[in-house]
Amino acid sequence: MEELIRSFCAAARQAGVRISTAETMDALRAVAVVGPGDRRLLRHTLGVTLAKSIPEKLILEETFDRFFASGPFQDLPREGGTPGGEAAGTVGRDLSPLSSMLLMGDQAGLLAALGAAAAREDLGRIQYGTQVNITAWRILESMGIAALDRDLEALRRGGERGAEETAERLGELRSYLAETVREYVRRQTGVAIEARRGPLEEARLRHANLSGLEMRDYERMHLVVRRIVKKLNDLYSRRRRRARRGQLDFKGTFRRNVPYQGILFETVWRRRKVDRPQIVAICDVSRSVIRVVRFLLLFLYSLNREIVGIRSFAFCTNIVEISHLLERFKVGEALARIQNSVDLDLIMGRTDYERAFGDFRARYIDAVGPKTTVLILGDARNNYNDPCPENLKAIFDRCRQLIWLNPEIPSLWGTGDSEIRRYAPYCTKILKCYTLSHLERLVASLLRN
Amino acid sequence: MKNLGSDKFSSIEAVREGLGRVSYITSRQVATTVYLAYHLGKPVLVEGPAGVGKTELAKTAALFLDLPLIRLQCYEGLDEAKALYEWKYGKQLLYTQLLKDKLDDIIRGAEGFSEAMERLRLYEDIFFSWQFLEPRPLLKALRQEGGAVLLVDEIDKADDEFEAFLLEILSDYQVSIPEIGTVAAVTRPFVFLTSNNTRELSEALKRRCLHLFIPFPPPELEREIVRVRVPGIAEGLNRQVVRFIHEVRKLDLKKLPSISETLDWARVLVILNAESLNPDLVRDTLNIFLKFEEDIALVEDRRHQMVAAAVKEG
Repeated sequence: MEELIRSFCAAARQAGVRISTAETMDALRAVAVVGPGDRRLLRHTLGVTLAKSIPEKLILEETFDRFFASGPFQDLPREGGTPGGEAAGTVGRDLSPLSSMLLMGDQAGLLAALGAAAAREDLGRIQYGTQVNITAWRILESMGIAALDRDLEALRRGGERGAEETAERLGELRSYLAETVREYVRRQTGVAIEARRGPLEEARLRHANLSGLEMRDYERMHLVVRRIVKKLNDLYSRRRRRARRGQLDFKGTFRRNVPYQGILFETVWRRRKVDRPQIVAICDVSRSVIRVVRFLLLFLYSLNREIVGIRSFAFCTNIVEISHLLERFKVGEALARIQNSVDLDLIMGRTDYERAFGDFRARYIDAVGPKTTVLILGDARNNYNDPCPENLKAIFDRCRQLIWLNPEIPSLWGTGDSEIRRYAPYCTKILKCYTLSHLERLVASLLRN
Repeated sequence: MKNLGSDKFSSIEAVREGLGRVSYITSRQVATTVYLAYHLGKPVLVEGPAGVGKTELAKTAALFLDLPLIRLQCYEGLDEAKALYEWKYGKQLLYTQLLKDKLDDIIRGAEGFSEAMERLRLYEDIFFSWQFLEPRPLLKALRQEGGAVLLVDEIDKADDEFEAFLLEILSDYQVSIPEIGTVAAVTRPFVFLTSNNTRELSEALKRRCLHLFIPFPPPELEREIVRVRVPGIAEGLNRQVVRFIHEVRKLDLKKLPSISETLDWARVLVILNAESLNPDLVRDTLNIFLKFEEDIALVEDRRHQMVAAAVKEG
């Protein structure tokens, strides 16, 4: 059982669930408490001890079902004489353990032998389907198939009464055994191969150029973004905390206690104001950034989920606030609503940075204060109209920092109708941003200073 | 460290029945987790939508075990002084003032400065002893002679530092107070943590806990909960109410009604002497289980079909 749980943990680990040694021990203790008899109970027990979040629990349960799908040797043929019957006369005299187990129909014994042999092979390391046959053969060898073959040979040559018959049965059982072991290896490694996709997928997402992403990847990507944002939140709260740590305020204490004839009676503590991250995000959703707009919006959505007091805006020809959409709807729906401008006064005409920033300046400038970080996501392609940088300057002057995230590669900045160079003076920073790694860099720069 | 009464934890069924006896009807999975938590000596981290009975689980566990419930409500900015202990500064200051005169007695006759210091040193720990310590929930839970159920409610609202600070308590059931030393639990408390998932908890914390997710219950279970918690309700109405609520949960609402809302609604219907659901009755009582204007409007539009479905199948 122990070996089984341990290899289950290994499979789960490869499926992307982080399981430490301590947790494996916990699971073993828990299984010892509830006993291995009840399959559903076992499944739940492992879920409770090993999972640390709901997605992980789902992965674990899936892995469990795959891992503990019906065991090998369930359908071991038991035809012929029962042990002790006629056949038993020939069996068991000088046959190898493997042959007698097969002939006697000893499921448990075979399972144990298979388990022991498989443990020596380390199935978790198999990466390619082509390795299955050779591994299965090695397992068969270590279970003692050579001895079985010798038995077979001896029985055929011996010509004793009933030996012919036994030899025939043993031959059938031999091919059954070989097939079962191969199937076992295939399934175990299938678990491993299928399971290993998780981390790879994540790495691919993190470095993929996001315009090529497909719908089914979004759920995954959302998790990655969340992790980034969490990092941001963590660092923030640590900074905040340090600033707030109170000390005894001596002057204050004395002052407060003047009414008590200077006897120190009440204490006064020094406290500093809590500094929360304030963010205003402005996102271009026009056609020129269509390839990455979902990525930008997704990022915005994740930010919105994680940071209290963030305000989000989207613009194309004009600008509208979208905070409420991001708050209210599930990610897919929110994005679809913004892109199709459902219940929004968003005009999807030509991109107009002048009007967008102008409108922002006129209507929403109060959202920006001296502690605000303004994030602008866009390519600054203004269809050769006047970019009117004064509008951006007005925003820049009010905020603590203004970070522009440009989804174009830097060599295209300033070419054609890109006005990013005109806007550059009013940005604290301009960063290229089309993969998740770029976003991570943004996190760092949000926290500096 | 002593252990809590073990006869109540002889089997998973015993736990489930025990909780049922104090009016907490639950699935086998929840009972399994509580059973495991007891036998492994680990805290339980409970997650799930608001109102499915996360806090209630801890409360009933306290009833079931016949132990005091000590509750620590988390919020942003919660720190050790509020959660663990605090020195009674006022009392300390007051005592120093009152004892000022005694100071003369102590150092009278001392020869030289260093001898006076020597004598004073004999008393220096007086002001940092249990007498001047104000125990807060966590310390209280550790010092309960007969054990306690400790509920750390909405841990996700607290800061990360607080989480880190909880680790020592959760894994070893002890805390360090610099002036006094390490305080270990007299009896190991039974710990529940609840989280609404407003932020991701740290791996380290999760690793120390059993992770229990309580989802919305299936209809049969919910009916049984209503039956136990709302004694006066007729079986037919109970079926209809649960059925209706389950229909509502399928809609795309801002805030889905959970068990506590089902119970509230059932109670209201009993008070109104309702025998069966009808569209008008539903319209008038929607605000009991829906908390947002938009949600109410959405359900109000569809109430005719939904009532019809609930009545037919119920």
